[in-house]
Amino acid sequence: MAVGQPAALLVAVLFISPLAAGLLGTFVQASAGADLLRNLGEVLNDPRLRAALVLTVFTGGLASVLVAALTSVVLVSAHGTRAWRALNAALPPLLAVPHAALAVGIAFLFAPSGFVLRLMSPSLTGYDRPPTDWTVPDAWGISLIVGLVVKETPFLVLAAVAQLRGLDVDESLSIGRTLGYSPARCWSRLILPRLWPRIRLAFLAILAFNLAVVDMAILLGPGHPPTLAVWLVQLVSDPSTRHVAAIGALLLTGIVIAACALVLLSERVLGLMAARRRRNGQRRPGSQLARRLGQAIAWILTLTGVLSLLMLPLWSFASRWRFPHAWPSAWTLQHWTHRLGSVFEPAVATLFFALISAVFAVCAGIVWLEAERRGRVPRLDSLWYVPLLVPQTTLLFGWQVWAIHAQLNGGWLVVMHAHWVYSLPYVVLILATAWRELDPRWMHASATLGVGYWRTLWRVRLPLLAGPVAQAAAVAVAVSVAQYLPTLLLGAGRQATLATELVAGQGGMDRRSMATLAVLQAVLPLTAFVLALRWQRRQRFAAPVAVVP
Amino acid sequence: MPVRSVCTRRLTPAGVSICLPVPTFMTYLHRLLHAFSRSRLDPTRGSGWATLCLLLSLTASLPASAVEPDSSWEDVLAEARGQTVWFNAWGGSDRINAYLSWAAERIEEEHGVILEHVKVGDIAEIVAQLDAARAAGQDSDGRVDLMWVNGENFAALKNGDMLWGAFAELLPNSGLVKTSPSIEFDFSVAVEGLESPWGGAQLVFINDMATAPEPPRSAEQLLDFVKSGGRFAYPAPPAFHGTTFLKQLVHELSDQREALAAPVEQADFDAVTASLWAYLDELHPSLRGGGRTWPVSGEATLQLLDDGEVDIALSFNPNEASAAVRSGQLPESVRTYVFDEGTIGNTHFVTIPWNASAAAGAMVVADFFLSPEAQIRKADPAFWGDPTVLDFSALDADDKAAFDAIDLGPWALPIGSGESLPEPHASWAAALEAAWLTRYAP
Repeated sequence: MAVGQPAALLVAVLFISPLAAGLLGTFVQASAGADLLRNLGEVLNDPRLRAALVLTVFTGGLASVLVAALTSVVLVSAHGTRAWRALNAALPPLLAVPHAALAVGIAFLFAPSGFVLRLMSPSLTGYDRPPTDWTVPDAWGISLIVGLVVKETPFLVLAAVAQLRGLDVDESLSIGRTLGYSPARCWSRLILPRLWPRIRLAFLAILAFNLAVVDMAILLGPGHPPTLAVWLVQLVSDPSTRHVAAIGALLLTGIVIAACALVLLSERVLGLMAARRRRNGQRRPGSQLARRLGQAIAWILTLTGVLSLLMLPLWSFASRWRFPHAWPSAWTLQHWTHRLGSVFEPAVATLFFALISAVFAVCAGIVWLEAERRGRVPRLDSLWYVPLLVPQTTLLFGWQVWAIHAQLNGGWLVVMHAHWVYSLPYVVLILATAWRELDPRWMHASATLGVGYWRTLWRVRLPLLAGPVAQAAAVAVAVSVAQYLPTLLLGAGRQATLATELVAGQGGMDRRSMATLAVLQAVLPLTAFVLALRWQRRQRFAAPVAVVP
Repeated sequence: MPVRSVCTRRLTPAGVSICLPVPTFMTYLHRLLHAFSRSRLDPTRGSGWATLCLLLSLTASLPASAVEPDSSWEDVLAEARGQTVWFNAWGGSDRINAYLSWAAERIEEEHGVILEHVKVGDIAEIVAQLDAARAAGQDSDGRVDLMWVNGENFAALKNGDMLWGAFAELLPNSGLVKTSPSIEFDFSVAVEGLESPWGGAQLVFINDMATAPEPPRSAEQLLDFVKSGGRFAYPAPPAFHGTTFLKQLVHELSDQREALAAPVEQADFDAVTASLWAYLDELHPSLRGGGRTWPVSGEATLQLLDDGEVDIALSFNPNEASAAVRSGQLPESVRTYVFDEGTIGNTHFVTIPWNASAAAGAMVVADFFLSPEAQIRKADPAFWGDPTVLDFSALDADDKAAFDAIDLGPWALPIGSGESLPEPHASWAAALEAAWLTRYAP
């Protein structure tokens, strides 16, 4: 007996059915009462929708363009330098930290009364009081764009770094340089065009995420109007506007599809232009200044992320910290001790969801990949991207309807299911490369020695792949800890996790208490990453590490 | 120990009925720990069967509620024991959440009722959900047992026939409640025992003596203040403090303020509010955020005051500044004041929806909220600082002394300063909010 079709099919059904049912449910709601087109017309006439739409396209679009641009700048100017290792070491922690926690830190950092100005005031700026020239969050969505760029750029850089290994970067560079091209031109003419197809899906996932993000947009985005996704979440909680929310969710999906199509179209156009440029043979010595500038950008991005995270423990231990003091003037443990009760419960619930959904996601990933390796199920690589590409609002509005009908809404079972559905794609994408590349001769040798299937899997394959498995588990924990909307909508407000408490605290909660929650929310996935790393080091035969996605 | 739980039966394909637990994982953990801590079932000494039986009993279902609003208190207490009360209440304040955690412990100790605080962003959402449940005919096993309301939300519940009944005046502790117009009429709507008073409130302003030693004491002065560089911002309606600020302004600026006591449909809305919009048009460009970004809530203005981004914060609790100074959230240089002509004040209540699953437990909780013990702690800024609804002359000497011993400090609103103005009729809030949103946040 081996891991066979039934188990793998169960995984597929549990994964696909909520996606299909969610989309269907949203369609059904969107056509509630009247027909879809009439509802759509009604919604499109709403001036608030148009404002939210413009804001969404602006923030999501600009953030994505910046992520792509900054990723290439970082790669071109910093790859292979001495600082590259240090930068690379800072990336996984930034990737692991949930969006909400990072958003809280970024707001502390850049507000007029924030840490950056506190460091410089009044000595450099002359400000005794915070300036009044801007606010965080701001009306134009700049704060949100900064947050998205700081969070998503590490993701794309890491995805690119994982793919660069197969591209002979050093050889391409030395050939290019021998022919007299500057390093930047070597990258833009020899490496980036080959890199892009390999990270295209990751970029599209980022684009979809930026357009549809909810938690970060609540914490850093404008409120009047909010982005489309945030507005829809406000509408869906009122039964009389649920159909409007459903239509808006379909509209948001339409925007994501259009944006993806635009990316693919510009890829063609840019490809043609690049091909022409490649042949013109122009070469110029590289500019040191541009290179330094690029490195500076890489450092500023990394520092912003790291400093934002450092804000959280600082505030959580601050008793008094007023502008323009650079550091808290009085410290206290009371935010930790007094609030232990109210922080403990959501923290335990978060841990519970994260651990169980990670265990199930890793098991499901192994079941699927084993069945796939043995030819029992087809390769479905693009299927796993569906939850990452379809806006969460669109899936969850419909999913919630089914959960209400089945009277599961508000229970932990359906929330757990949602966490599992959102972590499984990362698990499969991380494990897949290692799983498929593992030398089959290990298995043959084992079989020759008369060892059965299960023993081989347990004693040979899994130990060899322990590194990727540990990493996949850590990513699954990070994904689950960060889940805000599934927990909120399917948990019907009854499943309080760190993510829901943190976002709900926006505006009402004392900043120092927010910081306490955010520290915990950041610490859980960071611990998982550290443990995964230690585990990986202990394995002597660890296979090469794959990076998301 | 039979513990009632919300239990969902679902048919599996094989036709076997399975029971899926609906309450949160934390509730289970809580109950398990609770059972063990009582040592009735010590897993280290007792048999494994006892633990198993306990686990099974956790998912067992009991018959639906039998008490009526006028049932004898013994019956109520008997049925309440073991019930879980889902209390839907605004969850944006740490201090209030901590107070409710304390109340939950005390109620469980005293009456064996488990109080679960469902932290709500805006209780109007819950009212809308109840309305949908009403329309769908879900007349039992509701998900809300008790809710924190007043004003337009109470009016909506009452108009929609979504209230359980006249339970409030039959609670043992209701005899201690003072008589006041705002307790008998919630935003001009007759209460009639359908909700039980919990605390009082008044719109107050908090200024920092270090940056604004002479804060504006009227709408006109406020306008001059921001125009000459003073820093101020109010939360965008429909945030509660924002809406109340609008009511304050319309009360102060309108030459037809008597229209506010009647339903808005009976008034010429545009005429009554014309002076308000003219005022706001002038005020907004000079606000922090330039009338484009707004603080999310009244609590957020406290943070902005401490950061120095505004000079004046808004609160609906005369004692909030005391609590905030003591917890290190505001500097000691803050003071609380009201406008010279007074500010809007009201009472907030708790009520039970018609389809509550644990009405008996909800009554026990509402009664505990009115006990001198709970009201004293609530009035103390060290915990919450919410003004009491009790009548001091009805209290015994010890309780009265305990109230007197509460130290409000120099930061709270000095007692006797400023009149409490009546809330406009409940229907005005929605109309003001809608008009504000169309004008300033389209």
